[in-house]
Amino acid sequence: MDELEILKKQWQNQEQVLPHLSYNDIYKMLLKKSSSIVKWIFFISIAELLFWTLLSFFVPESSTKFSDDIGLHNILVAVNILNYVVFGCFIFLFYRNYRKISITDSIKHLMQNILSTRKTVKYFVIYNVTMSALLIIGINIYYYLNQDIVFHFMTEDYGITHITQERFMKMFFAIQILFGIVMLGFVLLFYRIVYGILLRRLHKNYKELKKIEI
Amino acid sequence: MNKELEHSFVTQLEENQNIVHKICRLYTNDSDAHNDLFQEITIQLWRAFPKFRGEAKFSTWMYRVALNTAITLYRKSKRSIQTQDFEAISFKISADPYDDTTEQQLKLMYSAVKNLNDIDKALVFLYLEDKNYKEISETLGITEVNARVKMNRIKEKLRTILNP
Repeated sequence: MDELEILKKQWQNQEQVLPHLSYNDIYKMLLKKSSSIVKWIFFISIAELLFWTLLSFFVPESSTKFSDDIGLHNILVAVNILNYVVFGCFIFLFYRNYRKISITDSIKHLMQNILSTRKTVKYFVIYNVTMSALLIIGINIYYYLNQDIVFHFMTEDYGITHITQERFMKMFFAIQILFGIVMLGFVLLFYRIVYGILLRRLHKNYKELKKIEI
Repeated sequence: MNKELEHSFVTQLEENQNIVHKICRLYTNDSDAHNDLFQEITIQLWRAFPKFRGEAKFSTWMYRVALNTAITLYRKSKRSIQTQDFEAISFKISADPYDDTTEQQLKLMYSAVKNLNDIDKALVFLYLEDKNYKEISETLGITEVNARVKMNRIKEKLRTILNP
């Protein structure tokens, strides 16, 4: 007889060696909190959506005044409006995908829905990082081309004196570049951690499932 | 209403708890992890229960929720099982002195199944539970043909391990 058939018979007769929980044991479990990855993913995603949305509100007033002075007001307003529309779309997509996650789906479908919910948030962050990078690069090109105006308003708005324009501009650009790199590094690190901890196993299992279908 | 629902759920789970225990046994390595997973599966079953309309049997519905929890939702703690390749097991087995008894073979077979990856394990589990390929493929979300092909490959590998 096939060994697997023997195991199957044995398997179906293992009831007596399995643990047995009472009605009360099971009832108590209903009151416990879940620690599923979907719950974690939901909280982390909400935190990310909030973080990036709130970040766009917290632009210091002095910085706004400076960008107004050098003539970037209209461009920044347009960028902000575009951002809010895109944020709205992402939040809607996230909610729609999250609602689709159902434990009674097939294993493959459940994995796909979890991954696509995560992907929405991933694209949201990629959008934000790209927009921020483009904005920083664009503004810096503008600054570079209008160094005289920048220096003029910097000395006027922030009272910067005792420094030559050339030296000031070098420091100014160095700080901007450094800030950009640190921000990007922080975001990448965060993603490595989030994906590393929560989704490594899911990705691995999803790959195994896909392999069956090749 | 809620009390009735609770009572109906707990009674049915109590009757069918063996299914969950078997899954816990396959996917964890010690009793702490076993209990942890059992609890998580219970919570997920309870959450999904209001949508269970009794179209399928309670036990059939349980397989899906329980396997989904074990494979996808459950966050393993450090002490839980690590998957191993067949090659690694086959090496271990051939290093052991070979004992040609059914019991020994079953032990080997069981440990081989336990060491399969999460997906293959689910496939073998449903096969051992005497589910047909239609049900297996629907639970996993793959085609029936692919489920058959994969199961045959796993069987071949298991045979190689048992008859080196």
